[in-house]
Amino acid sequence: MKKDLAKVRNIGISAHIDSGKTTLTERILFYTQRIHAIHEVRGKDGVGATMDSMELEKERGITIQSAATYCSWKDYDINIIDTPGHVDFTIEVERALRVLDGAVLILCSVGGVQSQSITVNRQMTRYKVPRIAFINKCDRTGANPYRVTQQLRDKLDLNAVMIQLPIGLESDLAGMVDLISMQAVYFDGDQGEQIRYDEIPADLRDEAEAKREELLDAVSMFSDELMEAMLEEGEIPEVMIHDAIRRGTLSLELTPVMIGSAYKNKGVQLLLNAVSAYLPCPTDVENTALDLDQNESEVVVSNNPTDPLVALAFKLEDGRYGQLTYIRTYQGMIQKGDTIINSRTGKKAKVGRLVRMHANEMEEIEGAGSGDIVALFGIDCASGDTFCSPGLNWSMSSMHVPAPVISLAIKPVDNKAQINMSKALNRFTKEDPTFKTYVDHETNETIISGMGELHLEVYIERMKREYKAEVEVGAPQVAYRETITQRADFDYTHKKQTGGSGQYGRVAGYIEPLEEGEYEFVDKIVGGVIPREYIPSCDKGFQKILEKGTLTGSPITGIRVAINDGSFHAVDSSDIAFQLAAIGGFKQGYAKAVPVIMEPIMKVAVEGPSEFQGAVMGSLNQRRGVIIGTFEEGNYTVVEAEMPLAEMFGYSTTLRSLTQGKAEFTMEFATYKQVPKGVADELIKAFAAQKKDA
Amino acid sequence: MGYEPLVQQNPLRVLNMGRENNQLGLVMARAGLGKTALLVQIALDAILRGKRVIHVSIGESIEKTKTWYDDILQLILQEHSVTRPHELIDMVARHRMIMTFKIAAFSRSRLEERLNDLVLQDIFRPNCLIVDGFDFVNTDREALEDIKNLMENMGMQAWFSAICHRGDPRVSPTGVPAPCHELDDLFDMVILLKPEHDATIQLDIIRNCGEQVSGGKGLRLDPTTMMVKEI
Repeated sequence: MKKDLAKVRNIGISAHIDSGKTTLTERILFYTQRIHAIHEVRGKDGVGATMDSMELEKERGITIQSAATYCSWKDYDINIIDTPGHVDFTIEVERALRVLDGAVLILCSVGGVQSQSITVNRQMTRYKVPRIAFINKCDRTGANPYRVTQQLRDKLDLNAVMIQLPIGLESDLAGMVDLISMQAVYFDGDQGEQIRYDEIPADLRDEAEAKREELLDAVSMFSDELMEAMLEEGEIPEVMIHDAIRRGTLSLELTPVMIGSAYKNKGVQLLLNAVSAYLPCPTDVENTALDLDQNESEVVVSNNPTDPLVALAFKLEDGRYGQLTYIRTYQGMIQKGDTIINSRTGKKAKVGRLVRMHANEMEEIEGAGSGDIVALFGIDCASGDTFCSPGLNWSMSSMHVPAPVISLAIKPVDNKAQINMSKALNRFTKEDPTFKTYVDHETNETIISGMGELHLEVYIERMKREYKAEVEVGAPQVAYRETITQRADFDYTHKKQTGGSGQYGRVAGYIEPLEEGEYEFVDKIVGGVIPREYIPSCDKGFQKILEKGTLTGSPITGIRVAINDGSFHAVDSSDIAFQLAAIGGFKQGYAKAVPVIMEPIMKVAVEGPSEFQGAVMGSLNQRRGVIIGTFEEGNYTVVEAEMPLAEMFGYSTTLRSLTQGKAEFTMEFATYKQVPKGVADELIKAFAAQKKDA
Repeated sequence: MGYEPLVQQNPLRVLNMGRENNQLGLVMARAGLGKTALLVQIALDAILRGKRVIHVSIGESIEKTKTWYDDILQLILQEHSVTRPHELIDMVARHRMIMTFKIAAFSRSRLEERLNDLVLQDIFRPNCLIVDGFDFVNTDREALEDIKNLMENMGMQAWFSAICHRGDPRVSPTGVPAPCHELDDLFDMVILLKPEHDATIQLDIIRNCGEQVSGGKGLRLDPTTMMVKEI
């Protein structure tokens, strides 16, 4: 085990869907001799790329889970987290970013900066991840790395600087000019494994000189030495330039841009060199934890291998040998036989098998030092949990988890499927905090909810494939909410005093809209008109009724309930009597408070050739969307709109047929908004009918 | 629509800009004095009067343009109480569409194609066009006349912004500075933004209803909020 942290790189590879992440990762593993043959993502050999370990991914050609893999390049140890590109899986991307020190942002040389790149870039900025841009697919028709570099500046606000120049483009892509060493680089051999350095072609000489000047100007900001060397106009040592680029990259003020084509085996080795040279090692990045014993005050983790262990479980997988937990250590060492404590549950666990992962294959190891990414077997935990050495009670700061916006009912086809389904659901909810499941007590159905249609589809497929749980799937349901629009008073007496032990309670007060937050209970009772011990009963009653609104049975949010009067009976008042009085009172007030239905609104971006702009806008308009704006550049257009989620089911099919498959869209949750009257009436009618049937 | 008080209290009323004979308007200023802020206030005023506005931003992002509207609308809401602010914000979103172009991508034919897309499918029927960032330096008279014709055909009002430079002494006989000094007769209203000694910015109206006029109407931009104020 190497212990030099300066030679460790934990990097992520993030990008827009289909810009070639998986292909690039595959090539990296090939050149670092982790694998001995290259399989294409949609390869004809049927093997599929090594990183897409799940069958489903192989079939769809997309990467769903961020498998971690290890490789070594020259004397650097590199852990790669392959992250999914589709926005529905954003939590996976965010979680992966949390444990990374640096990242490679891949862009397609034709598509350029697309909406997903913007999302990923924003996430990287949030987690302060230094990045290198790699403009892939330079062999494709229409490739223009210069335009993409300009987009990095304009759209992502990055100080993007090319450190290479392409030699030929599209099908003529031959290699690239390294602007630091001022050499042409070619990739010979069947799989580009032999790197050949040569003179810069004469016709590129002037351009290379000019671009080098640009590069030096940009990076000299980060190094006084370089600035001086430039003023002296002598030979500038390469090391000095590398050093300046590294400083700029680490400070997030510079993004070196590299080019190539992973598919054509061009430029990948140079990217690996850049990862080693410019991206941070674990000690370059300051990570903080929360000390649970000190009122969650922030503490900086030390990265010191001799300190007590702090490690974050960022990913779970269910393998043949039980649960596999991927962890990133932030300080201390983890070794076989160690006792570690899960700071969320306080439970002790013993480290059994410890492995280093390479997609589907694993390598048994004895221990791992600070800053490493490894996997543990047989540890029960949820993802996001922190493990510490006994005596330490720290937690890596919690991650931002959005609330689910879509749900659907699933029903196992038989008994066997029932058992497997619950196993699967148990696993998925542990793996993915945005995936939730519960049983609806009225209909007895199992409901799963998540961040989008595709998100849930993938889990249903996984249930089938990995757990052999066949389920019938209901129609997707939008997670509606109800709220009130004005203040209303209530005064309700619950009375049941006909023989036996009676029930009596009177509650009066008002409800009003709450601008921020979901629910607030205000106790304004004076003079003991409701005895102290029954105040929590009222609160409990209100919370119970809030779970299901009267319009559509959706949860009621954004409401303040205040009680200011009431009365009780010395014998007949009880906890349950006041709960029922509260429920009655709420219903009374709710009817008067002009309740409305709220629906999730998604921010949608459709990208494609400009010729389809009219058709795309028409399709969005038909779906109750509000078009925010359009962006045009050359022959390429982005339409941004706010769309009700309820109208977006099946939109991918519509879009495909409208645009001959040339446009694509991404969608993420934006806000909740009131449902228009006509639609609301339909929903209320449907709910009433459903209630009648039940 | 219930927003009459907001419309009536708007200091922009002094300009009589609601009149349909003001078909083409121009806001000129040196960089950074508040052209976009004024254009957005003109647009919001039109929206509050029930018009639909297309805001063309050349060389800006959708996000940035939208932020201008959000910010100025917030300022309006701070000054005037509206019973249901969310409805107003929603209404503005529905009556406004932002179109952003890369500098080279904007032309009359492009614009016409886009407007037709919207109108023929009945997605959006604009009454007012705002063009921020139009390149007057490299535009010939013909191109602007072309756009003016298009606006007339579609029954729309249009507002442009132009940057003038301190070092450029060229000025039209009616007082319109370069780069619009040879185009001034095409505009029905021209407003020049001028910084004053007290740091406020005066709206100097140099052309109104196609006639040369002089002096302002006592309107200024508050330098901190960029909102139009009457003195």
